[in-house]
Amino acid sequence: MNTIAPSKNSPMIELTGVRKNYGNYEVLKGIDAEVARGEVVVICGPSGSGKSTLIRTVNRLEEIGSGSISCDGNNIHRPMPAKELNRLRSRIGFVFQSFNLFPHLSAIDNIAMSPIRVKGVARDVAYAKATQLLERVGLTDKANAYPGQLSGGQQQRVAIARALAMEPPVMLFDEPTSALDPEMVGEVLSVMKGLAADGMTMMCVTHEMGFARDVADRVWFIDQGQIVECAPPEEFFSRPQTARAQRFLSELRH
Amino acid sequence: MISDIIAIIRDYWLLLLIGQYPNGPLGGLAATLMLSVLAIAFAFPVSIALALARLSKSPLLNWPVSALVYFTRGVPLLMLILWGYFLVPLVTGASVPSFLTMLVTLVVYQGAFLSEVVRGGIVALGHGQMEAARALGHSYLGAMRYVILPQALYNVIPSIISVFVSTIKDTTLGYVINVPDLTFAASQINNQLLTQPFQVFFILAAVYYVICWSLSRVAVLTERRITRKRAGTAAQATAKSLKLAALTDQPS
Amino acid sequence: MSSFDLSEILGNPEYVSMLLLGIEMTFVVAIGSWVLAMTLALLLLGLRYAPGPVGNAFVTAYVSYHRNVPTLVQLMLWYFGIFTLMPDGLTFWLNDHNAEAIFAVIGLGLCQAAYFSEDLRSGMRAVSPGQLEAARALGHSYVSAMRFVMVPQGTRNALPALINHSVSLFKNSSLAVAIGVAELTYAVKEIENLSFRTFESYLLVTILYLVFSLMIMTVGAYVARRADPVRSGRA
Repeated sequence: MNTIAPSKNSPMIELTGVRKNYGNYEVLKGIDAEVARGEVVVICGPSGSGKSTLIRTVNRLEEIGSGSISCDGNNIHRPMPAKELNRLRSRIGFVFQSFNLFPHLSAIDNIAMSPIRVKGVARDVAYAKATQLLERVGLTDKANAYPGQLSGGQQQRVAIARALAMEPPVMLFDEPTSALDPEMVGEVLSVMKGLAADGMTMMCVTHEMGFARDVADRVWFIDQGQIVECAPPEEFFSRPQTARAQRFLSELRH
Repeated sequence: MISDIIAIIRDYWLLLLIGQYPNGPLGGLAATLMLSVLAIAFAFPVSIALALARLSKSPLLNWPVSALVYFTRGVPLLMLILWGYFLVPLVTGASVPSFLTMLVTLVVYQGAFLSEVVRGGIVALGHGQMEAARALGHSYLGAMRYVILPQALYNVIPSIISVFVSTIKDTTLGYVINVPDLTFAASQINNQLLTQPFQVFFILAAVYYVICWSLSRVAVLTERRITRKRAGTAAQATAKSLKLAALTDQPS
Repeated sequence: MSSFDLSEILGNPEYVSMLLLGIEMTFVVAIGSWVLAMTLALLLLGLRYAPGPVGNAFVTAYVSYHRNVPTLVQLMLWYFGIFTLMPDGLTFWLNDHNAEAIFAVIGLGLCQAAYFSEDLRSGMRAVSPGQLEAARALGHSYVSAMRFVMVPQGTRNALPALINHSVSLFKNSSLAVAIGVAELTYAVKEIENLSFRTFESYLLVTILYLVFSLMIMTVGAYVARRADPVRSGRA
């Protein structure tokens, strides 16, 4: 099977008519959207709106009912051998709210293990890369620390480095700072800002509106399983179009 | 009383230690320990396979293993040994030493038991670890191999030691099929002496106590070590570990 | 040997009555030792919490012995050992009253008490100390806080372990065959000897054990569910 090389202008992520049910409850009610190459999209919305479910469908941690999702030219939800899905997933970085670092591995092993085991990268190459990434997230001195010995903010930065080690063209963040103590939010956001500045394509579910204002190219506001608004941050924050978005923003400010 | 006990030990220590060997099969404490070590060594890989099968979504894998687990939980080991004694020669078509029959039975029994321990260890890790590994592109088995099992097996080491202690205690039931173990040796001594049953069985109890107590201490110390090492990472739910302890820590 | 035929056993009144007697004795031993074990377990738990180091040391030693010596060896020590050291009068009386069964109940009950008392203790320890503090802060006395806050939660925590150990107690009643108690395993060996129907007799008794064990598990699961306010729908 030949995959057609995606052109430079085609969107990085394309969601078409994505629907999903949990039993009778419809979480996603037809999502159509695109994320361009190099674009940073922030997804926000009230709890239970479906934003986490949506981002999880993009690397198929959740199945969808109907519609399609493509990432870098690959249809993620088509029937395919498990091997193929693993390969696709390794090209989509995912950062969890609860970090999910592997507690039995040191920080540097967390970062180097998957390139070695999944992509077959040589050990010395993988560790050199891991060292570089630790430097990038400012944790060079913690290379041999275990997750249990790191603060939440440090763990999340290692988790970001771990995802980057697979060299994905796109990164997904599912509420990366929600589980953190307030004083640690900044260090994680600054790593993410650095990524955005380097031109990484990013999709990020977050309530950090300051981050959205500074970094996002567009904000998607999701409510009840639909994208209700989709606008550049300055527009979304100053002139929300719908009553729902207005209510959400005013509640967030209080 | 004490001088009786010392006299018995002095006269029969070799029988207690190795049975009739070299004039007969290896017996006594040596056979008990060998049987236990071999049983747990074979049961361990079996238990991992059973646990993975029981966790699998395929009913073809998951049903027979669930049935086996309920079977071993619901039927006395003594009954299983009788089954083994009846079935193993039928399968192999030859007369089999009782030692081997007992070994096969123990591997099945403890394998099923241990599989619940391993499964508990995997489930206790939660979904996050598997998800994170899958998101990085690991296959299911790859995630098991590099992420889930190293943690789960490490966390259940104390339970595995407890199962080992249970196995040592379980080997005593070999008496129904005349496995020449430590208990068998003690019965032989009792039959020769006839007049000092309390002293003989007291020695027997003391030997088992020393071995099992030491191993139980090892289990407790390992558990403390692991808890210390894990401190700081997500705490395991107390209820889960309680349930697990109830499973492994069985009288026998 | 002829082909599989359960009626060879179930059609023979002699075998059926042997089976029924075996079942009866298994239940006598199992229930008798369960009651003894639970009573002792509560006493041991009380001793654990008693002031002074003696009670605690005694319970530790008691639990340690009963958990680290094989149950079968404990039974043998009771029946072949301690029994012979007893005064003649008592020995005669015991022999007149099914000494085997009495020693099976004593041996299994004493052994199981160690497990039950530890189950209850871990259950109590799993209740957060904050619960006691909260109850005391509300004005409960120590006893009242124990009675209404700690013990209900502790027993509920201990239930899964208690149920598991009750099942293993039932299974361990089969060990009584080693000291000559005519329970179910004894019956199967007799029937096998008389009928030469090994497969059928083993199968029957295996099914019986399995059914009784599953019944205990089911009742246990029901009790555990009833004890859980959320799952029983009372919350």
